[in-house]
Amino acid sequence: MAAPPLLEVRGLSKRFATRTGREPSPWVIQDLSFAVREGEFLTIIGPSGSGKTTLLNMLAQIDTASGGEVRFQAETAPISDPTRLSPGLSCRIGYVTQEDNLLPWRTTLQNVLFPLVVQRRLNDQTRARTEMLIRAVGLAGFESHYPHELSGGMRKRASLIRTLVYDPPVILMDEPFGALDAQTRTQLQEDLLRLWSLGRKTIVFVTHDIAEAIALGDRTLVLSKPPARIAGEHTNPIARPRDVSGIMTHPQFAALYRAIRVEVQ
Amino acid sequence: MATWRQTDSPAPMRQSPAAPSLRARGDQVLVLLVLLAIWQGFSLAFGTYWAGSPWGVATRLTTGLLNGEILRHASYTLLEAVAGFLIGALPAAALPFALRRLPIVTAILDPFMVGGYGAPKLALAPLFILWFGIGIESKIALVAITVFFIVYFSALAGIRALDAKLVQMAQVMGASERDVARHIVFPGAVPYIFTGLRIAMPYSIGGAVIAELISANRGLGYLIQLGAMNFDTTGVFVALVATTCIVFLGNWSVNAVERRLLRWRPPPDLETQVGS
Repeated sequence: MAAPPLLEVRGLSKRFATRTGREPSPWVIQDLSFAVREGEFLTIIGPSGSGKTTLLNMLAQIDTASGGEVRFQAETAPISDPTRLSPGLSCRIGYVTQEDNLLPWRTTLQNVLFPLVVQRRLNDQTRARTEMLIRAVGLAGFESHYPHELSGGMRKRASLIRTLVYDPPVILMDEPFGALDAQTRTQLQEDLLRLWSLGRKTIVFVTHDIAEAIALGDRTLVLSKPPARIAGEHTNPIARPRDVSGIMTHPQFAALYRAIRVEVQ
Repeated sequence: MATWRQTDSPAPMRQSPAAPSLRARGDQVLVLLVLLAIWQGFSLAFGTYWAGSPWGVATRLTTGLLNGEILRHASYTLLEAVAGFLIGALPAAALPFALRRLPIVTAILDPFMVGGYGAPKLALAPLFILWFGIGIESKIALVAITVFFIVYFSALAGIRALDAKLVQMAQVMGASERDVARHIVFPGAVPYIFTGLRIAMPYSIGGAVIAELISANRGLGYLIQLGAMNFDTTGVFVALVATTCIVFLGNWSVNAVERRLLRWRPPPDLETQVGS
């Protein structure tokens, strides 16, 4: 615990611009502080409309903060000035959004290679890694399909490995499995944990599903209703590797679930 | 590493491109025959002086094709249409991209563009003949200006329909402004540009024919004018049929290029593509 946190949020606040003639818009997030250690899988849980996506947008540097700061490797990000925003902080913060946001005119392979193309990092080594990831998520054989020819789960996988392929030190995930059926969802959770166990990236994973937050995280933060603050923090005692589909029968699951349930309102 | 199990099946696979069924083709032939029969009935009732006759037109068309007369005039009109189409469409497609980062300039230009779009191009023909002479230049200019405004507004719509989330994702992944323009803005606007091109295509041929009607010594418009002056109804119809054939050819070309460039799109509804 002596190592400085990789990502640190201090007193972060956000309210959206007030439209002229209206009441000042309310605070979405107010005075939020937390830190993420290197290699940690942090899950953040909160009720709908608690500013989870807003928080990740600020961490990804695509939205400005109204107050407070975000520090990455002890370096303060320029987050208050819209003209100086640096999306992704030079490819060091990856972001898997709620929607897959695949480019419809690129095939699966072209979509997954896209970050490498724009970062001018396309070479034999990165190509091999891409192929490995495509095989690992079961997209082999679908490389030349366009997004509209894939199922929702396959698009999700493509969008997930599109971020993994360039290996950013921190990956933000915004309810990436929210819109999927239960079975596909469990499968993707297992897949994600397997990929994570290989590379041990730092992950900040936002969800509104308590079971998902427990199944995946090393630590879980609970956000309050807006203005969002930390309502609770739970270190997850369940040992890895975990059985995602059977997580609810784990002896330590029920107590943790109940403790979080009380705080999520 | 173990391969992940496949729990979900892929979406319905690419169906064969929206080719009209044989049934639809048969029905189209049927409609054509009915139209020809009505025409034939009309000319039998009122005489070929008023309406020509399908048979007479077919004979004249064959003769004209065999002695090269029709092809000579048609190729002239086609040349005007293609040249004007390219001269009008290329800058029209490029301009909204150039102005993408300059919304104020776009806003300043807007009323002028709307005016240009709405102005009757036929009224410009005499001016263009005055400025560019009675040769091919005035026809190309009329076609180009007609096509320009149609394609400009389509391309502009394409730029405005840009999905900001795709741009943000690309920026998070390290895409520069140039990468965004090249990999996101442009491909996203291509379907809109093609909509404009498809609408503009018949106008380009129509524009060329109309310019020829006013003043020319070659081209299908000239043939129509010649036929009209000689009270040669059949001659007018022959030129009209030839013009229609060029429109079909142009439509087919635009669709062929579009199909090739827009393979990534879900197949369109079957019936809307029939006959194109």
